[in-house]
Formats: sequence, C-alpha cells, structure tokens
Amino acid sequence: MRHIPEEELHAYLDQGLSRSQCVEIESHLANCSSCQAARDGIAALRDRTTALLAKLAPPRGFPPAFDSLRRRAAIQASARRRRIHVAAWAASVVIALGLGWGANYWISNRSVPAPVQIVQQVAAPAQSAPPVAPAILRPARRRSSTPNRPAARRPARRVVAESAVPAPALVAPPALEMASIDIPHPDLDLELDGMWRTMSWDGAQAEAGDKLPHVDGLPVVQVQLQTSQQGKQPLMVVAQQLASGEVIRTIEGPTSDVSHLLARRTMTDPDPSVADTDSQRRPGVAQDHTDRTMAMQRGDRMLVITGALPPDSLLAMIRRMNAEMRSK
Amino acid sequence: MRDELEQLYQTTYTAVVRFLYRKVWDAERAEDLAQEVFVRALAHRPEKPRAWVFAVAANLARDEARAAVRRKRHLTLLRGDPVAQPTMELSPDFLVEHDERMASVHEALSTLTPRDREILLLWDAGLSYPEIAAQTGLAVGAVGTTLARARRRLVEAHDRQHSAKGHHAAHS
Repeated sequence: MRHIPEEELHAYLDQGLSRSQCVEIESHLANCSSCQAARDGIAALRDRTTALLAKLAPPRGFPPAFDSLRRRAAIQASARRRRIHVAAWAASVVIALGLGWGANYWISNRSVPAPVQIVQQVAAPAQSAPPVAPAILRPARRRSSTPNRPAARRPARRVVAESAVPAPALVAPPALEMASIDIPHPDLDLELDGMWRTMSWDGAQAEAGDKLPHVDGLPVVQVQLQTSQQGKQPLMVVAQQLASGEVIRTIEGPTSDVSHLLARRTMTDPDPSVADTDSQRRPGVAQDHTDRTMAMQRGDRMLVITGALPPDSLLAMIRRMNAEMRSK
Repeated sequence: MRDELEQLYQTTYTAVVRFLYRKVWDAERAEDLAQEVFVRALAHRPEKPRAWVFAVAANLARDEARAAVRRKRHLTLLRGDPVAQPTMELSPDFLVEHDERMASVHEALSTLTPRDREILLLWDAGLSYPEIAAQTGLAVGAVGTTLARARRRLVEAHDRQHSAKGHHAAHS
C-alpha cells in the first residue's frame, strides 16, 4: 500500500487540497498507523514553525483609521487629475492659438494689416497709450520720444509664438535654466539698426525689465532683439523649450515688423540676413508666400497670439496667461 | 454596506505589517509601507484584493531592500571598502529592541533560500496555496513541497543554533 508523501500531508493540513484528495487521504489515514504518526509529526512541525515565526512580530501598533487612508488616496488621485488637467489645458491653448494663427496667417497674406483679435482687445485711446513699453535700445527710445513722431500711430502689436520642428540652430539641452543660458555667438550680430542681437535672458531683462514676451515656466533657450532703421520699436523673439523638446518662439513687436518677419521666415529661424533686408527691395514676396504655404503643408507648426492692443494691456494679457497657467 | 477593502483592511492589516516587517526589519517602516499598500489598493480597486495586497507589499519591500543596498553600496564606495553583498542583516536597533530568541529565529530564517522564505512568509501571512502559487509563479502542487522543505529547514536551523549555544554555555 502506498503511504502518503510528506508534501501531501503538509498540503492536507494546510487545507491546500481538493475535497476529493482530502477524502482519499482521510480514508488512508484511518487504516495506516505509520501515516498517522507522520501526520502528527508534520502537524507538530507546522505548529513549531508558526510559533517560531510568531516571535518575529513587530511591536503592535494601532492601525490608522481606514478613512485616513481614503483621504490619502483621494488626495493622490486629485493630484494626478490636476497634472492631467494642466497638460490638457496647455494643449488646448496651443491648439487654440494655432487656429488663431491660421486665420491670421491668411488674412495677413492678403496684405490686410488689420490685426486679428483672438484673446483680448482693449480699446484704449491711442493718445493715452503709453509710448511703447519695451523700448530696449537707446536709439529707439530716443526716437520714440521725438515730437515729430506721428501722434496717431496705432500701438497695435502682435505677439507670435511659433513652434517649429526641428529647429536645430536654436535647440538647447532641455535642462537649460533661465539663469544659465549660453549665448551662442556673443560677439556676432551686435550691431544695431536692423541686425539681430542674441542676448542672454539676464541681459535682455536688464534692458527690457519684465517686458520680454514669454510663457512662464518654460526654459528660455534664446532671446533675440532687432531694431529697425525706421525708428520703430524693437522686435523681440524669445525662444523657449517645451518638455517635448520642441522650441516655441514668442515674437513681439510692431505689427508691420512682425508681418514682415512672418512673410520672410521659413518657419525655422529668424535668419538675420533675411530679416534685416527691407521688404520693398524684395520683389519676390508673393513667391515667398507660396513657399511658406508649402512649408506649412510640410508639417511645420506655429502658434500666434495677435491683438490690436496697447502695450500695457498686451503685457497684462501675458501676465494673466502666465498666472492662469500657474494656477491650473 | 461596508467597503470590501475596508473589511480586508480590518482583517489583514496586521498580517501585512508583519509580512513587511519580516522583510524590512523596521516596525515603523513596515507600517508606512502597509498603509501605502492599502492607499494604492483604494486607487486601483483590484479584483482579488487580498492576493493583490500581498503582491504589492512584496514589491514594495523588494524596492526598499534594493534602495538599502544602493545606499549601502554608496557609503561603501565612499569609504573605499569592497562592496558588501546584500544580506538580511539586523540593524543595531533591532538587536537592542528584541531579545535573543527573536534574533535566533531571524538567523534561522536567513538560512533559507529566498524562495523558500518567501513562500513560508506568505503562508504565515494567511495566503492560500492557489494565492501563493499565483504570486510566486509556482505550481499549486509544488507549494506543499516547498513549505515542507522550508518548515523542516527553519526548525532544524533553529535547533542547531540552540544546541550550539547550549554547548557553548556549558563549556564556559
């Protein structure tokens, strides 16, 4: 007669066997004294193991109320939801601005300089609007206070944020912080009058105060300024990097300059050699538009904020956007 | 009606803490981890909560042990000593807090292979054979074999220690 193996007796005592297996073992045990002895031995071993392990118990603490764990789980869940919301919000802003740019793009293509308002329009009297705030370069500032400046000049300004992938010339390591920006060519493009100047964030802020157009919370990759010869306000381009590695640019300046810049850009880089040439001396503008349409079809993306805004309300708008992004 | 997880919490919290304690050897840490396990269970609402809770507890304890080894390796590298192998070591606190008998069980437990030890602890935490099998990847039929071996080895190791100590005491 086959005796019951040791492991089966363990399983039997641990209630790890099926009902039919248990019946089989019990009927064998009833008639087999040696298996009964084995079973008793294993039961004793089992008890000793349990008793030994019981010594390895921590000092007994009181379990916290289950509700406190529920609260913790709820807090963690809402933190997760908040993170998703922020991402969704940022994405919706990008989409909305992209759509807005699309509309504006086609309107400005028909050479209608009327700014398209998407976000906000503050109808401040043109005379009471302060002379354009981000006057950065000294020659420009002097001219802006010149009395023979046309008094009714519309302070319409645009802010353009552009995302172009790839933008190898401007992409910097994602960990770059505002305070530690490299100036790629510190000695280049430093001439005024229509040339682009590449500046550090700190340097640009020292000149423009907190008026640099940018989206809060994104690392700044590059700041570029351009002053044109006609005594207009400078054009500012702030490149910032998204978490995905893409670079977006926020461009701010007089409508004509921004239009001009957009008309000549190839969606990648504000090329100084292109940007400082005068549009009147370029007969091929229409041809350029076709090229840009092609560029758009190739998948380049651009975000734009436009508005006929006096500079103070423009800055207010940027501040409000930044505040909203922080609070979401 | 009371939440199923709340019932599970009332009946198994102590077992989860004990299970974790036997892995991290720090009562407070074991309680923190046990609470974390139930917070995660509340977020995930697993289908088989009891098995799930112990599986997550085992994972957390494993992560904890790895982190401890990393810390230790880092300190060792700073000192320039050869890197110590991960072991189930008792902290000085543990030795102060607990009597010698407890230390001897701990030592006996550390002579088991990691798999035998895991299955013994899962069994002691109240898991069934199918639950142990599901968690460890063992066939249900092999759980009895493993437990038979683990129990025998634990008791033998403990008795061996005791007789050695008794022998030592008689000579001194």
